[in-house]
Formats: sequence, C-alpha cells, structure tokens
Amino acid sequence: MERIDPEHHDGTSDATPGGEPDRRRPGELGFAAFLLLTSLFLLVSAWGIENPFGPNGLSSPRALPVATTATMAVAATIILARTARLPRDASETFARDILPARALLFVGLLAGYALLLRPVGFLPTSAIFLAVAIRYLERRSWGWTLAVSLGALLAIWLVFRIVFTVLMPAGIVPEAEIIQFFRALAKGAVG
Amino acid sequence: MEALSGLIVLFAQPQLLLLVGLGTFAGIYIGAIPGLSVTMAVSILISFTFSWDVLPAIALMIGIYMGGVYGGSRTAILLNIPGAPSAIATALDGYPMAKRGEAGVAIGVTTVMSFIGGFVGIAVLALAAPLVSDFALSFQPRDYMLLAILGILLVGSLSQGSLTKGIFAGALGIAIGSVGRDPLTFAERFTFDFQILEGGISFIAVMIGMFGVSEALIQMHHVDKRAMRQKIDRVVPSLATVRKHLPLSLQTSTIGVIVGALPGTGGDIAALMAYDHAKRVTRNPEPPFGEGAMEGLVAPETANNAAVGGAFIPMMTLGIPGDAVTAIMIGALFIHGLNPGPMLMIDKPDMFWFIVGCLVAANVFMLIFGLTGIRLFARIVEMPRGVLIPLILLLSIVGAYAVNNSIADVYWMLGFGVLGYFMRHYGYPLGPVILGVILSRLLDDNWRRAIISERGDLGLFFAGILSSPLSLALFASVILIFVSQTPLWTRAKARLFPNAQRNP
Repeated sequence: MERIDPEHHDGTSDATPGGEPDRRRPGELGFAAFLLLTSLFLLVSAWGIENPFGPNGLSSPRALPVATTATMAVAATIILARTARLPRDASETFARDILPARALLFVGLLAGYALLLRPVGFLPTSAIFLAVAIRYLERRSWGWTLAVSLGALLAIWLVFRIVFTVLMPAGIVPEAEIIQFFRALAKGAVG
Repeated sequence: MEALSGLIVLFAQPQLLLLVGLGTFAGIYIGAIPGLSVTMAVSILISFTFSWDVLPAIALMIGIYMGGVYGGSRTAILLNIPGAPSAIATALDGYPMAKRGEAGVAIGVTTVMSFIGGFVGIAVLALAAPLVSDFALSFQPRDYMLLAILGILLVGSLSQGSLTKGIFAGALGIAIGSVGRDPLTFAERFTFDFQILEGGISFIAVMIGMFGVSEALIQMHHVDKRAMRQKIDRVVPSLATVRKHLPLSLQTSTIGVIVGALPGTGGDIAALMAYDHAKRVTRNPEPPFGEGAMEGLVAPETANNAAVGGAFIPMMTLGIPGDAVTAIMIGALFIHGLNPGPMLMIDKPDMFWFIVGCLVAANVFMLIFGLTGIRLFARIVEMPRGVLIPLILLLSIVGAYAVNNSIADVYWMLGFGVLGYFMRHYGYPLGPVILGVILSRLLDDNWRRAIISERGDLGLFFAGILSSPLSLALFASVILIFVSQTPLWTRAKARLFPNAQRNP
C-alpha cells in the first residue's frame, strides 16, 4: 500500500499510525525502554498470581496474564532493538515536536480539574478551566473569552442535566435549589 | 417474522426514529470537525446514555456512527483536512477537485457513493448475520479464542504501521482488561494490593483517555492552522456520473464490507485498501489520481460506509467487534445487560433487526442531510480549535466521571490519555488496545474452557485444532500474519511471483 504520512507524524488513525518508519523521533527510544520495563514489571507481577483452588497450571488465573505480559515483553524488546538501530531525526526536538509546553500545561490543567471537582463543584471548576484554556489558546480579549466559555458551559450543563440526567458534584453551588427555584417559578407562571 | 417486529419497533416509535436522525445530523458534524472523531464521540456518549433505555441509546449511537463516517469527507474535500480517519484517502483527490472549483460535484458524488456503500454494507449484514450466527453455534471455545487473537493482530498487519507495535498494543489491552479479581477463582490480578484496583479499570475511562484526551492533546500541535474557504456550487450529481462509477462502487463496497467484517479492522483501513484497488483497476483516469480523479473519491467513500454494516456482523454474531466503534458499542450493550454473541441473535432477534433498521434509517438521513445542508455544515466546521479542544477535554472528564461517579476514573482517563498521546507520536496503533480490553474476558474464559476440556493437556489442545477445519483455518491465519511480517515471506514472494516485483 502507498504510505500516506499523516500531518506531523501524529497518527490520525490506526490505518496510518504516526511515527516515522525509517527514523527515530526524539524520545522514542526512551519510550520504548519505558514500555519494556513496564512489561517486565507486569510479567513479574503476573507470575505472582496464585490460584487459590489448585495448581498454577494452564487453566489457572495466572495463565492469560503471564502469556500477555510475556508477549508484551518480547514485542517491547524487538521494538527497542529496532528503534535503537534507526538514525535519529535531527530536524525535530522533544520540547517542540513531541511534548510542547502547551500539551504539558493542559495535562496539568486536567489534573487540577480532577482535584477541584469534588470540593468546589462542577460549575465553578469547569468555568475556570474553560476560561483559562480558551484564553490561553485563542489569545482574545477577556470579554470574548468569558462570553464563549460561560455560554458553552451553560449549554453543556443544560444538555447534561436535562437530556442525559448526568449528576456532577454540586460543590459550593446550590444547584438543586436553583433548579427548584426555576421549577417553582415556571409552575407559578403557568398556574 | 422477527425481522418485521424489530423493524416495526423502530418505525412505530417516532422518537426513536428522531434519535437516529438527530444522531446522523450530529454525526455528520462530528465527522466533519477535525479533532472530533466518531470513536471519541461514541465513547463519551456511552456514559451519558447510561441512564437511558438500551433502544434509544443504540439508535443515537448508530446515527452518529453512520453520519460520522460520512462527515469526515466534507472537510477532506473543502479544507484538505480529513475530519475523520476514514476520510484520509478522500482528501487525496477530493481537495484537488475543490481547488479546481468542483467542490459541489465532489461533495455530491461523495454523498451518493457513501449512501450506496452504506446500503451494500447493511444488505450484507442483514443477509449474512443470521447465517453466521447459526454457524457460530458450532464454534468451540478455542475458535472464539483464535478469532479474538486474529482480530487483535489484523489491525497491525493490514495498516501501514508495524505489526510488532500492534501486537504490543493488543497485549497491553488484554493485560489492562484482566486487572482486578478473576471472576472464576477470585484471585487478585495486577491489583498490587490496592483496593481501588480490585474491581478492575473502567474500560470507559481507558477509551475516553485513548480516543478523547490523547486526540485533544495531539490537536494542540495544530491550533494555529486556519482553514481556507472553498466555493460550493451544484451539489446533486448527474445520473450519468453515478452510473459511470457504479461498477467500481460495487467492487469497493465489497472490499469495504469484507474489511469491516474482519474483526478489528474498520472504515479507515477499508478506505485506504479501496483507494489502492481503484488505482490498480482504473485505466487512464482523467484527471490522474492525486490530481482530482473522481474514482479516488468513489472508492474510499463507498468502502468506509460499507464497512459500517460489515463491522456489525462479527459484533452481533460472535460478540467480537468489527472495529473500534463496534468495540465501544459492545461495551455499551454490556452496560445495558446484553451480551452480544450467537445467543443474543437467538434470544433477541428483534434487537438485531432493530439495529438493521437504525442503520437503514441513518443511511437515508445521511443522504438527505448530505445533499441539503451543505452551506450550513461548511460554517460550523470553522469553529476555532482553541475553543473546541477545551470543550472536548471537558466532555471527556464529565464522561469518565459520570459512569461510576469516581474521581479515580478521571485520573485513569488522564493517564491513558497521556500514554495514548505518546503512542500516537511513536507509531503505536490504539485500536488494538481497546480491542484487547474488550476481548480480554472472552479470551480468558474461552482459553480456560478450551484447556480444561482437554484436561490441561497442550498436546490434546493442538490435536483438537488440527481436527476441526474451522479451528485449523483460524490457526493458519494467525500463523500467516506472523510469517507475512518476516523476511522469509518477502523472499518467498519474490521467488513465487518474479514478475510482480518488476512490474508493480
């Protein structure tokens, strides 16, 4: 098949996965080594699975985990050896092409979101997250940023609460009381 | 008779039909917007439709699936950015056509061809699935095991990537799927004495992380790219154009159904293979491929929509997903207490016919929306990525959290998102991971059943494989995939077909 390189070797799909076939991208060797170490660690852990009801034979709970982690370890070893032989792609750098500050910042933002979600609640956390993220990526005025993020948040919240009945942590916002208030208001208006 | 009752359920309930329509409409947008994929949308949607009944949830997902596979072509043609993975080949000839000022024709042909491909896929599903499910009753546990392994291997071997990386990804998925207490013996596996791991890792968190978060993080590289607008003229293609390409479209639809029906491989691979096929069989296309050949549009677009129907065949009859989206749908059916496989086809045939009905309706909606709402669609696609990415991430978090009301799932999602991000950069396919997670239980159960029935004797197990034609064929396919990747195969091919090497 003709090789179609997706933009920036990022792997848009499984049909055309990312990476470069004949070159080593920055950090690729380290990642391959990490995968090998993880596989070996899991293999040792799989070997420690004990069958409480009998011998650790082919039909024991250990069988499949040992087989898969051994497969992972063998595959990772081959990948590591192949990657080590490839010439390094000198045109790319790790900080620019693989993990730019932008991506790292967003991982941090997401972790922060997960930390704040329970104590502060869905609405304030999401509002802060969207405003900071959109402002950072689009670099427009605060007025525009706030209008877009709050509007989108309101739409998402309405769809979730009403169409999908998804309950998110209310936190410091008295969500139930507000909904009750509007219900009462609607009832009052009708009646 | 059951066929009728299943179809009647759909068409007698306007709200279900409406959901299919709504799903198709949303699917076209999701497919058209670069950075939003069907896989991502369906995996996030599982957690939102969690509290719904199973029928409306399925109706909505099928609409999104069908619409999304088609919608990706829109941006591929207009902007040279495939909106969905299955439209990568569409951009190769679609964009040159748009640059020539034939964007309308390109979109029109794409729409009609997607419709034809979609129908071929559905027809094959409706005809073949009942036969396959009858046949599937005679499957031994070892056959299920071999089929699952085959499905995980196929993605790596049919795509342009490395099989070794595909194997690693598949094995990783199986390992993730086996975390927690073993359902048979209650032994702890990969729990490291953490109580939180005893119940296993939520497969929804893995999926949303791999397909939602990692995709959004990848899109960070492309935030600053702005789209170019193209003029759109006449949309409905002439009958002569459709008739001229009908023979090719039927061939490529067949490729699409087969690739779709193979476990694991879906529309993205089908489209590339069909494009390859069209290049081989079309003599002197005018203009040539890569410069706006109509055949280059017809082939991938019929194949990727035909693959939709095809992907449901192994899913409904064997419980083995045909591609990543059907893998997620199996997860959705699990959540609703249904267990796809031959027994579901026998116990609940109306469920199967309901799905067929939804596919038919979605295909018709796709044709209607595709030919009418063009200008509207072009506008929405121009939504800036700087707004889109934060929204995807927010939806991903809500989706991961909502299923179990668990913050731990959000962290899992984030972890798998980062892992998936690096895997994409370094050429590891993600589909096999999801397939592995979904098939882990099936593999484990069937392996143990097979080996227990042979009294734990590996020799008897292989003797069993050799004695059954089906097992033997499956086993041979698995071996063939491995051999085809070694230098041995290249040498053998050169010796067997010396001419093929010289005149490609």
